[in-house]
Amino acid sequence: MLRYTCKRILTGILSLFVLVTAAFFLTRMMPGSPFQTGNVTESVLESMEEEYGLNDPPVRQYQTYLGNLLKGDLGVSFKKPGVSVSEVIGRAWPATASLGALAILAAVVVGTCLGIWQASTKNRAVKGGIFFGTILGTGIPNFVIALLLMLCFGVKLKLLPIAGLKSAANYVLPVISLAVYPASVIARLMQNTFREEMSRDYVVLAKAKGLKWRRTAVTHILKNAWIPVLNYIGPAAAFLMTGSFVVESVFTIPGLGREFVNSIANRDYTLILGLTIFMGVTVIVINLLTDLLCACLDPRVRRAYR
Amino acid sequence: MKLLSVQDLSVQFHDRYEGQEAVSHVSFEVGPGEIVGVVGESGSGKSTGMHAILGLLPKKAEITCGSMMLEGEDITPPGPKGCGRQRKEYERKMETVRGNQIAMVFQDPLTYLNPTVKIGRQITETIRAHRKVSHAEAKERAVELLDMVGIRNSTRRMGQYPFELSGGMRQRVVIAIALACEPKLLIADEPTTALDVTVQGQILELLKKISVETGTALLYVSHDLGAVASLCRRVLVMQEGRLVEEGTVEDIFYEPKHPYTQKLLSQATGLLKLPKEQHAASILLKVEHVSKDYFDAGRLHKSEKTEAVHDVSLQIGRGETYGLVGESGCGKSTLAGMVTQMLEPTAGKISYMGDKTKLKYPVQMIFQDPYASLNPRMCVQDILEEPLLLNTSDSRGERVRKVKEMLHLVGLKEEDAKKFPRAFSGGQRQRIGIARALILEPELLVCDEPVSALDVSIQEQILCLLEEIQEKKKLSYFFISHDLNVVKRISRRMGVMYAGSLVEAGNTKDIYEDPWHPYTKALLSAVLVPDPFKARRKKGILHTEEKKMEIPLGRGCPFAPRCGYASDLCFAGKPQKYQYGEREIACFLYSEEHAGKRRSGLKMTSQI
Repeated sequence: MLRYTCKRILTGILSLFVLVTAAFFLTRMMPGSPFQTGNVTESVLESMEEEYGLNDPPVRQYQTYLGNLLKGDLGVSFKKPGVSVSEVIGRAWPATASLGALAILAAVVVGTCLGIWQASTKNRAVKGGIFFGTILGTGIPNFVIALLLMLCFGVKLKLLPIAGLKSAANYVLPVISLAVYPASVIARLMQNTFREEMSRDYVVLAKAKGLKWRRTAVTHILKNAWIPVLNYIGPAAAFLMTGSFVVESVFTIPGLGREFVNSIANRDYTLILGLTIFMGVTVIVINLLTDLLCACLDPRVRRAYR
Repeated sequence: MKLLSVQDLSVQFHDRYEGQEAVSHVSFEVGPGEIVGVVGESGSGKSTGMHAILGLLPKKAEITCGSMMLEGEDITPPGPKGCGRQRKEYERKMETVRGNQIAMVFQDPLTYLNPTVKIGRQITETIRAHRKVSHAEAKERAVELLDMVGIRNSTRRMGQYPFELSGGMRQRVVIAIALACEPKLLIADEPTTALDVTVQGQILELLKKISVETGTALLYVSHDLGAVASLCRRVLVMQEGRLVEEGTVEDIFYEPKHPYTQKLLSQATGLLKLPKEQHAASILLKVEHVSKDYFDAGRLHKSEKTEAVHDVSLQIGRGETYGLVGESGCGKSTLAGMVTQMLEPTAGKISYMGDKTKLKYPVQMIFQDPYASLNPRMCVQDILEEPLLLNTSDSRGERVRKVKEMLHLVGLKEEDAKKFPRAFSGGQRQRIGIARALILEPELLVCDEPVSALDVSIQEQILCLLEEIQEKKKLSYFFISHDLNVVKRISRRMGVMYAGSLVEAGNTKDIYEDPWHPYTKALLSAVLVPDPFKARRKKGILHTEEKKMEIPLGRGCPFAPRCGYASDLCFAGKPQKYQYGEREIACFLYSEEHAGKRRSGLKMTSQI
């Protein structure tokens, strides 16, 4: 297990390196320059580029960047002089992370419950209702949901605030709009695997032992049904934790997603790279956690990791 | 008073057998402590009937029952018109009956145990569902139960998962679960079908011992007449959902009245007949000192080596059937893989002496599971055509002609070419598998357990078909099976494998009449004959606790830890092959230097 974890961390670092390299040269290949705005003269532009080392050959720039990166220095934003990339991330991440974590939590709880309910109920109305709901949830894009929620609860009913992240109530609408899609997918997956597991032989044995249905569902079926669902939750969590630009701009939340899109528009090379690295690390870590969690649930996987 | 009495039980599935009942008007009784066998072919409704007693059938099954009484208590399931409340009440009542008064043991212990829950937990939860005991007490009882069913190191085993145990041990765990609350009736649904012969004997003995010692009544469902003969006092015979005959085991086996019972019995003894005469003219395949190692990626650099096959030599003649028997995991299938060139041997050589002009390597294979080995989304024509497309440049008309020809040969109709595999029964599917193997006109067919997934009557049909084809096409078969009766039925020469080595080889008839190697003896003694008198007298030789076959690398005879005749010598060195005429044996009991010099011309017989 420990060996496996170490191996995963090493391959993670390797893929991170590839990511940094690719991102570095891609940003340099983008047309334009960070300082090229309408009212900058040619000479000023040149001196600025000289100042920031942008006239060096890309390979040299890459070497300098990697060297700094190893020291833990992500550099300074090109667009906001004096503000380091780490500061930008440190400022934007808490909002994104708290939103993402809440959304994934809500999606897991709601999705699992709906999935199990749909799989085990005999009531056709409930079955059909959940089925229809999850189809809608996967089909409607989250910004449409966000706008509808805003219109309904914020503008018409005036129940909830619609912008910023000042109080707990501010979280409700963005979390819902972020959670609808993953919750629907989880519900559908859960429904499928749960129904599949319900027809397994060990459920018959559990019944023959005289176990109550609820107990069988919790101790036997759920544990097995969770494993495939977990494989979706990992990537979904990584996606949510790194921020959704659309939902963040609809609710005017100062999160990572917004920073990222802005940095690309501004050609803020260091910020793009910094955010890419940060998201890469998040994705790698969350995927590792999911796989370890899978191993926790399934002894056979644990054995394979040994 | 009777323990269980079932009156007029019928079960109907609406999606299957339209209008026909899976179980129809069955009535029987079981006395306290009685061992009752239920026999019949697959599809005769014996399992369905047993599941109906415990109310384990899925909701789509429609159960009607006159009355079902368990020690005076009414456990009649509500009929199809029963309302929701009746159903709920029945479920509530059954929760206290299941596992507590009636327990059940199932066929395949691997799928019936939850793979992600520890064994200990699976036992204790049964106890805690019915008795008001603490965790610690339940655990104590579970350890006791594991000891009772013959699992050593029970405390350690409690913390293990099902996949860490061997098949026989898993079945013991399922039995332990069933015995957890001291039920009055144990229903065993084909409990030994998925197990090896030697393990089957042990499980049967365990069931018998439990029934005698605890006074538990046993309803033993099986298609294996030998097992029923050795275990049961009374037998119920089922055919197509109806109970056709009932009587004591002696009556049923010695004086069967119903034609169906007679047919079943003649089939079971039919397998005991010998193969047709085969003439082996020249050698077709030569396997010389072949070994196959697998490397487990172990800790850092020390990769663990497992020898799946160790130094095996054999020859297969043209037009001959060579049988290979052994327990699961002994390397039979690895050897088959090397013969078909799907696997590369680590050492040794396999040379094919036949005609290689038509095909580069004219060896084809028939697989065990006729359900899994045919692609459900391809029709028969496509399945049979595929090998031709890959290996020949036949035109479309040519291919269609060949497919038709093959279907005729294996006893299917031309129209069947358009159908999909799901339209066929198990036996018919195996015929398709045979046709697929034959379409390239190979000279050697490797048959990896081709009949073990089939009913006895179908087995005989398939074996006859194989013999017929052999005669017509002068084919050779390399026939692998764990079923000794089948190998005896079809092969002229045979080999016995244990833990990757060929321990005995020779003429099939000779080996069955006079087995030499202690392992062969144990295997043969574990075969149950459908004759209650003989079967009861039979005692298995292998009484030692079954272990996972650990193959000591390079040292000692692999069978030594389980062998009753093992001496120090057997643990110190590997026996060579000693040859006596056609018989080859790897056992020190037959070596000249260790067991004394023999006169030349002496006819060797079994030394034990």
